[in-house]
Amino acid sequence: MITVNSLTKSYGEITVLNIDQLEIPKGQCFGLVGNNGAGKTTFFSLLLDLIKTSTGEIISNDIAVAQSEEWKSFTSAFIDDSFLIGYLTPEEYFCFVGELRGIDKAAVDLFLETYVDFFNDEILNQKKYLRDFSKGNQKKVGLIAAFIGNPKVVILDEPFANLDPTTQIRLKQLVKAETEKRELTLLISSHDLNHVTDVCNRIVLLERGAVIMDKETTAKTLQELEDYFSA
Amino acid sequence: MPTSLFQLSRKKFLRAPQLEAKLAIKLLMGFIVLYFGGSLLFAGIAVYPILSDQFPERDPISIINSVLVLIFILELIIRYFLQQLPVTEIKSFLLLSIPKKRIIRNVLFRSLLSVYNAIPVLFYLPISISMLQDDYALGQVIAWWVAVTAFSLCLNFISFLANKNNKALAGFMILIILLYLSESYMDIETLRAVGYFFDAIITQPLWVLVPLGTFVLLYQITFSFLKKNLNLEGSLAAKKEVANAGRYDFLDVFGSHALFLKNDLRLIVRNVRPKNIVMMSFLFLFYGLFFFTQDNQPESLLVFASVFISGGFLLTYGNYVPAWDSEYYAFLMCQNLSYKKYLDSKWRLMTFAIIFSTVLSLPYLYFGVKIYLLILSGAAFNIGLGTWITLYGGLLNKQPLKLNVKAKAFENTQAFSGKMMLMIFPKMVLPVLLYIIPATLFNPTAGYITLAASGVLGIVFKNQILTQMAKLFAKQKHEMLQAFTQK
Repeated sequence: MITVNSLTKSYGEITVLNIDQLEIPKGQCFGLVGNNGAGKTTFFSLLLDLIKTSTGEIISNDIAVAQSEEWKSFTSAFIDDSFLIGYLTPEEYFCFVGELRGIDKAAVDLFLETYVDFFNDEILNQKKYLRDFSKGNQKKVGLIAAFIGNPKVVILDEPFANLDPTTQIRLKQLVKAETEKRELTLLISSHDLNHVTDVCNRIVLLERGAVIMDKETTAKTLQELEDYFSA
Repeated sequence: MPTSLFQLSRKKFLRAPQLEAKLAIKLLMGFIVLYFGGSLLFAGIAVYPILSDQFPERDPISIINSVLVLIFILELIIRYFLQQLPVTEIKSFLLLSIPKKRIIRNVLFRSLLSVYNAIPVLFYLPISISMLQDDYALGQVIAWWVAVTAFSLCLNFISFLANKNNKALAGFMILIILLYLSESYMDIETLRAVGYFFDAIITQPLWVLVPLGTFVLLYQITFSFLKKNLNLEGSLAAKKEVANAGRYDFLDVFGSHALFLKNDLRLIVRNVRPKNIVMMSFLFLFYGLFFFTQDNQPESLLVFASVFISGGFLLTYGNYVPAWDSEYYAFLMCQNLSYKKYLDSKWRLMTFAIIFSTVLSLPYLYFGVKIYLLILSGAAFNIGLGTWITLYGGLLNKQPLKLNVKAKAFENTQAFSGKMMLMIFPKMVLPVLLYIIPATLFNPTAGYITLAASGVLGIVFKNQILTQMAKLFAKQKHEMLQAFTQK
């Protein structure tokens, strides 16, 4: 689904990302881990063409993301709160996203019904603008909005951060359900090794922009990661 | 370290991102402040002699006193919309061992240093000096000046208290309107009483204790208000409002453009900054009054005024398209949206505003059909060309805008650059040329036709222009994203 060829991103002299070759097949749940500054968000921003590559290219579903805009029709993401529109209510925001992806209001409402548990009565019908919600509740909105319209590729940066424990567990269930339901390529970055090894079937470890480890998730993966990070 | 809080404000400025751009803006703003300050000073120097010249039978100072109340109301309105107490900066000091009282005193004192408080010095002081030359006793003059200054500074606190409390503002506005009505229809002298009060101060300087007392009282009220509310739930908290569930479904008639139009309307209605700016654009409607009421105005000025009347929205709001969307620009750039459609909806929004202003400007028919024809052809120019020039300028703008934050005093310049100044230039000069050249060569009718036709041209080639704009928009994407994420 996604192919990365000799991708680098540098600012002046400093190279922040350098991935020679990476292939993410269709339907994979791809987990990205690494300390601060490892290049996780940079990689996602490159995938979404939010920043320019220094060299190399990213090809998503046969489309070079830096060349064409076509990838937008099957890709969605939630990177940070700049993906929310503060002056909208959650309902309006979902509708806006839905309409951008060609889904009418009725279908969005139907879609939201399946996530009533996830929202825990804190999101819908609150008569509040998104900017007035707590960070955690804002995140819930952004995460669910990323799944509107059945995108083939979903990119979530640190989805577990800021969420309360119940919602973290519900998010894991949600992600598993989504990936089982259809052929969804899901990219997640996280500092929570537990969650990421639980959800993802492949883990890539970045350090200073380079891939240090790239493994299918097994029962041992969590231990290996913990060993690496405690070393 | 009594000055350490001030040092922090200084560092805040010096270490801001994009310091150079900010410095340039500050310099430019400096000139503007100088200009306004100079005008005010000049007015202060000139008003007294002019009045005594024009109305030799009346005492100039009592004429000034009689309009003081209007000046105060105007000042309060300006302060209310533009001035902001630097309370949000307090947050980080709350946990430090600085006495709360000192933090508040610092905030209040700094608010007294705001440019708006230069008014008493620049405007009223020269008047006082004129009074001295006019044989008023020193005591009388000082009392008058202190009284006026104290009232002006009271407004400083009133605007702050009203800002935190919408009901207070509404109450105040209703009071003013009632007073005005009672004065004009029932002949009860209330607003004029303010004038008499200042007259009284000159005859009995001891009255000065009243404004001074009011000032001290307001200082205390603000102080205790801040002290009581100096916590994260009180005055430091951002206002949380109940979401207005207006669905804006009426916009659905615009089909696929409705999506962005709805959002733009919500953006304007629900955010402080765009709301203020759009309200300001209404003031442009009155621009014509300056020019049309005077005889023998050069035609170029009339064209200029006509274009301004319908173009207020372009100059205030339009200039910052697409920076209004800067807070969630990354989100927009990841969505499957057509740039052309996005820009087209922005164009439509501006066009509605122009048509709306043109309809509102119907009363200008009073000044004759010719003037209104000029306004109409100016509106056509604005729709066809003004919008495109504005959009082009907006696309070159790389300063993010914070939506729900008030513009600071003389700093309505987030998103302000030399390039944008260059863009304002053609908007002002081009219509004048388009009218004047054919009007002098042939006749005024040719002028109207050319001006209007230039606009029609812009509408006819809309699709081509949009395509070019969308290309530029796409080309600028990464630069914009980078600029807009800098906070």
